[in-house]
Amino acid sequence: MPDIGTTRIAVPDRIQKGDVIRVLVVIQHPMDTGFFRDANANIIPAWFINDVRVRYGDDEIARFEWTSGISRDPMVSFSLRADKEAVLSVLSRDTKGGAYSGSVDITFAAP
Amino acid sequence: MAHDTPIARRAFLEALGAVSLALGTKGRPLRIVHAGPDDPEIPNEEVRRILTERFQNRPITRGHVTLEMPALAEDGRYVPVSIASDLPMTPQEYVSGVFLIVDHNPDPLVTAFHLSPAFGPVAIQTRIKMKRTTWIRAVVETNGGAVWADYLKVETTLNGCG
Repeated sequence: MPDIGTTRIAVPDRIQKGDVIRVLVVIQHPMDTGFFRDANANIIPAWFINDVRVRYGDDEIARFEWTSGISRDPMVSFSLRADKEAVLSVLSRDTKGGAYSGSVDITFAAP
Repeated sequence: MAHDTPIARRAFLEALGAVSLALGTKGRPLRIVHAGPDDPEIPNEEVRRILTERFQNRPITRGHVTLEMPALAEDGRYVPVSIASDLPMTPQEYVSGVFLIVDHNPDPLVTAFHLSPAFGPVAIQTRIKMKRTTWIRAVVETNGGAVWADYLKVETTLNGCG
């Protein structure tokens, strides 16, 4: 699966300084629990994202601890106070050492 | 029933409290369990371990948190969760942690969100897996150390954990 780790971030089209905006993050990942078997009855080993960092400009504004209890292709949405024009990025790591990231520019629309 | 007035019930509970004090439970907080339909079950060993590890012996009070999930999750592989809180998010006072505990999952602490005041007001949505019907706990911790929670029982038919 070549797309594993693809990180998409959606924010509103028009943002003005000080808005509380909704940020939607979707990361492609199997999030295998290690309890399921494949068609040949072999255990599919546990493999999941366990560490997510959200950076806004130079600041790390949040850190998420995840387990395999998060659904396949993890989705998380949260609110953010858009107080500066900066890059919003999401960096994640999985239990096999994979590191993934995605980012979006937060820019303010003319009032 | 005339003999089942609230006063009688209260007197009974007070007597019960006195008895448990007499039995030497004083010193430990006296916990009266209201086993209403909205109250979660007593935490199992693993959940208790998680609560102690994360919140030590601080009281966990219901309030300031709203956990929303479907009452019946048809597919345990994808169960939507929404956690919101009306607690302030200012540099002085903010929510520093949001924890989601699914009592009967193999790994009950499904996720923990560590936040800073730059994060907006707490309104987090995600999708989780559920092994079976269970109580779910959304616990929120403030930078001042207060711990608030909300609880829901969610039924599921399809095991999403394996």
